[in-house]
Amino acid sequence: MPASVRRLTAGLGMPVGSVLFAFFIGALICAVTGANPIAAYAGLICGGLGIGCTQGENPALQISNTIVFFIPLVTTGVAVALPFRAGLFNIGAEGQLLAGSVACCAIGIKFADLPAPILLPMVLVGGMAAGALWAGIAGVLKATVGAHEVVTTIMLNYVAQWLVRFLIVGGPLELAPGTSKSHPIGAGAQLPTLLPADNSVIIFGLPASVFRVHTGLFIALVAAAVFAFLLWRTAFGYEIRAVGQSQKAARYAGVSVRRTIVLTMLIAGAFSGLAGAVQIAGVDHNLTDKFFNDTTGFDAIAVALLGLGSAVGIVLAALLFGALHTGGAIMQSDAGISSNLVLVLQALILFSIAANFVGAIRRGLPFGRRASPELPTELPPAAGLMTEAAVPPPEKT
Amino acid sequence: MSGVGDIVHLLFTANLWQATLAAAVLLLLPALGGVISERSGVVNIAMEGMMLTGAFFAVVADLAWHNPWLATLVAIVAGGLMATIHAVVSIQFRADQIVSGIAINIFAAGLTVFLVNRIYGLQDVGHVGPNELLPYVDIPALDQIPFFGQVVFDQNIVVYIALILLVATHIVLFRTRLGLRIRAVGEHPQAADTAGLNVYVIRYSAVIASGLLSGLSGAFLAIGISNTFVPNMTDGRGYIALAAMIFGKWTPFGAFIACLIFGLGQAVYDNNSIIHVSPYLLSMLPYVLTLIVLAGLVGRATPPAADGLPYVPGSE
Amino acid sequence: MTDAERLAVDMRGIVKQFPGVLANNHVDFSVRTGEIHALVGENGAGKSTLMNILYGLIHPDEGEILIHGKPTHLTGPRDAIALGIGMVHQHFMLIPVFSVGENIMLGREPVDGLRLYDRATARKLINDLTKKYGLSLDPDTRMADLPVGLQQRAEIVKVLYRGAEILILDEPTGVLTPQETKELFVVLRDLVKGGKTIIFISHKLKEVLEISDRITVMRRGKVVGHLITRDTNEEEIATMMVGREVLLRVDKKPARPGAVVMRVENVTASSDRGVPALKGVSFELRQGEILGIAGVEGNGQSELMEVLAGTRKTTGGHVLLGDRDITTYDARTERDAGVAFIPEDRRGTGLVLSFSIAENSILGRERSSRFSWHELVLKLVAIREWARRLVKEFDVRTPSIDVAARNLSGGNQQKVIVAREMGSKPKVLLAAQPTRGVDIGAIEFIHRRIVQERDEGTAVLLVSAELDEVRSLSDRIAVMYEGRIVSIEGPDTPEERLGLLMTGGGKAREGAA
Repeated sequence: MPASVRRLTAGLGMPVGSVLFAFFIGALICAVTGANPIAAYAGLICGGLGIGCTQGENPALQISNTIVFFIPLVTTGVAVALPFRAGLFNIGAEGQLLAGSVACCAIGIKFADLPAPILLPMVLVGGMAAGALWAGIAGVLKATVGAHEVVTTIMLNYVAQWLVRFLIVGGPLELAPGTSKSHPIGAGAQLPTLLPADNSVIIFGLPASVFRVHTGLFIALVAAAVFAFLLWRTAFGYEIRAVGQSQKAARYAGVSVRRTIVLTMLIAGAFSGLAGAVQIAGVDHNLTDKFFNDTTGFDAIAVALLGLGSAVGIVLAALLFGALHTGGAIMQSDAGISSNLVLVLQALILFSIAANFVGAIRRGLPFGRRASPELPTELPPAAGLMTEAAVPPPEKT
Repeated sequence: MSGVGDIVHLLFTANLWQATLAAAVLLLLPALGGVISERSGVVNIAMEGMMLTGAFFAVVADLAWHNPWLATLVAIVAGGLMATIHAVVSIQFRADQIVSGIAINIFAAGLTVFLVNRIYGLQDVGHVGPNELLPYVDIPALDQIPFFGQVVFDQNIVVYIALILLVATHIVLFRTRLGLRIRAVGEHPQAADTAGLNVYVIRYSAVIASGLLSGLSGAFLAIGISNTFVPNMTDGRGYIALAAMIFGKWTPFGAFIACLIFGLGQAVYDNNSIIHVSPYLLSMLPYVLTLIVLAGLVGRATPPAADGLPYVPGSE
Repeated sequence: MTDAERLAVDMRGIVKQFPGVLANNHVDFSVRTGEIHALVGENGAGKSTLMNILYGLIHPDEGEILIHGKPTHLTGPRDAIALGIGMVHQHFMLIPVFSVGENIMLGREPVDGLRLYDRATARKLINDLTKKYGLSLDPDTRMADLPVGLQQRAEIVKVLYRGAEILILDEPTGVLTPQETKELFVVLRDLVKGGKTIIFISHKLKEVLEISDRITVMRRGKVVGHLITRDTNEEEIATMMVGREVLLRVDKKPARPGAVVMRVENVTASSDRGVPALKGVSFELRQGEILGIAGVEGNGQSELMEVLAGTRKTTGGHVLLGDRDITTYDARTERDAGVAFIPEDRRGTGLVLSFSIAENSILGRERSSRFSWHELVLKLVAIREWARRLVKEFDVRTPSIDVAARNLSGGNQQKVIVAREMGSKPKVLLAAQPTRGVDIGAIEFIHRRIVQERDEGTAVLLVSAELDEVRSLSDRIAVMYEGRIVSIEGPDTPEERLGLLMTGGGKAREGAA
């Protein structure tokens, strides 16, 4: 087998193993609490992939819905993975996404009459800027006083959530009092759908406008490609990785750790903000209270980790989690099992990746002192809360 | 601005400070847990999930056995079990401790709602409510002191327990040999190992202790302050407790001061019907306050030197 | 005493395998009671592994250990301590924020009736101990505030407090001044008079010859020789350590220094802790010469190199490169100006261990026009070409340039750094501890290349804690003490004079500030 194929399969081993592990434990949890794991997983597969649906769900619709969830997961996955390479935990992808959505909405409403070639780029760039700002706050706090980004980004998430509610429940963006949703954005800000939005056309047995798959898909894929290029083909990407692996070596190389941290967070926030803007422009076309409970940014953490921080991995992982999301809804309606099982599965995947269970078992852990002194890790070492690594000592900038 | 005037007026009422102390205790217990865990060198951001687990099991147990004490005990144990998962994954498998902590939080969030669905068959949660709650206790005579009497001596029993635990944690950490050993393990586990201490046992104990404390806090939240379980009812308190721990420079009393500040923010929010400020803006208050605290004062606080680093024996 | 009991330590057939390396290969090692036994070998020979096994930190795959004739099974340091074995590690096992007393007592703390840590009793116990062995220490000082020599003393007291009869000292003199080393040897001889047994791990042959009674030499995981100290010499030990004849001095032609290329004028700077580390350093560096800086670690050499390399700010003074003032240049601009830096911490600073050799080869130069277009996009082909050339020219032993740096041996890692810095054809080469922890083959290679650079006109500034290295490589020797250059000496200055200057004695000869 050629070396590259061997490396690919070796690289896939841990994520695939983690997913299998999670599904196994998930089945156990189901069985122990009296739920039927087969019914649960059948519901997931039907809802996520459109395969084996028994209760009349339309497979094409399910796949379309999966892709709709997949799109923001890719971009936010990138938003988590990029800072991870710099040794930062961006738990704030959700808040940054919301900031982007708010910006897109606000601009799309205020300039609703502008034509698409102007308005669409405006809302997307506006979303990126808002997301960048949101992440930038955490980045600056980290770079200046060493405030750990886990806590600051989580706080910013909550602030963003309440900001959304503030704006649309009796707030400045509200459509009409009591509706709890915003004005719709102008037609020029809307991303075209992939299938014609015309109810008279029947595709796969349903009126075409039911399929919400939109051109944001290409934006997401381009984002993933940009991420990969940035990280591996640019000098800045090299420096991000150096900072993430060894701040001392980065300083030796003349890299300003502080500036790298801030820039990385700004870029990550831009990706998240873009995801939020694309979501509004492509699917919702307005801001509703359901954004308060949106979990895309949190799912993105699992996407980034399961994807091992690589563009291809993130795309694959985003497909999985998109499928789980739509699958969860079907599982709940068909099998009567709470869609929160998907969250449980997600957590189990995270545990497995973090602990690298498969690798650990191969290495003879966890028992006894016969541990090997060398621990290969796929992910950059995380800085503990407020450790030396988190606070760069005085440097020449 | 009438909103600000209202808030200032509010600050002079004993009711507000009474609520502040209660809200502070809700944060203090997980913060103490965080202090103990991190002093032993294990980063623990899973307090949110452990609290939520405690809250859930407190409600379930209370509904089943109609006994708030038993329910609290169950909550404590549940928190400890969640902590054990974090401990095993972080210490034994040397996982990244932050990822493990986040995984616990997601796990708890999902599992609790999943179980509500399984046990009570309800799709719409928030309507299970036990009646037997943790009692409020007035300390006779002392509660007659003007202003302070109401604030300090007319509280739920868990508040008193928490204050005792606060003092106990400080004494144990800084005056006993156990505390010395915990701190040694957190500063330099190799040195502790070569001195003959069992690094693993100490770290496990510390992490589980943080789970027990968070579980207790969850019970206080679910069957002390309120009387029900709502999904994600902890609302980020576990993370705010982390900020309190950092502010307090990993000391119990320092964390307590921060908890009081954050508790004040929470208490002001709870009074939003009196103050004429948008409830949504007020909801942001605890989180914005945390950001300000982290930005302004922390400066260069240093955690235990080996915080967050898995221990590999025989390595240099 | 029976024959068996006369052996305080008897390790038989020890085998220990780590992934990719057989650290101990059927090792037999024995020490007689009441002797000072030196365990000698290069880095990676397996000495530390063997002693970690003896102390219970690591479990052997095979073999047995007898202490005073009795077979033992050590599950951890606790067992070793109970048997009277104590270890003073190369990297101190001390907690900087704790007091001396707390460090010594850790694991055996006295408690009072309330189960609270009894500081008064601890103080008394320590004072009794230190008086008994003549090692004075204040139990209440914070460990971080003590100088290194006293910290080591605390380590020894810690070990004695637990009733150690057999003391293992791992490279104890690396961090000591010559004076502190003398004091340590006095202490060791006193301990032996008191009936203790000492195992002394070192690669410093002169000291081994001075202090030990017998010597065991290890090479690549095996024991290759037993020697009686008074019957042997440096050359014999070195040959056994390496397996072939070793050149202890570098072959070089006399220097032909050219114009002054760098001028350092009255530079002052602070250390990481904010304390002044450089108190007015001045010297000149010429093309085609090697200026060696001799001095005990901690006298400002590290800070001097960092200032010159651009990773530390000065608080005063000037650095001139030709006629350019480069005092405020940062690391990248320094490199662009032609100042290359081989840092003393190769694993932490000089390399990103998880990066491949190719990626490490451009560390610090990723934005130069040679390796990237407009500082943006990397020129991958050019980078790989460059890496391949370096690997070939500097004889880095590796199957490919995509191997991660962490998988290379210490010597090869250092060669990657040396290759990278020399390959950029610098005007000035700063080399800090260039051969620390590196096997002898690589040492010889690096020394030869440094001389070659000099011969091609580069100005070389060499900092080394190994006085031998400084003396054999340098054309001029500057001695640093307490943040100043106290004297600049010729290359053949006797060691005693250098040692005196290094500790603040003697009179300056020239160029001191």
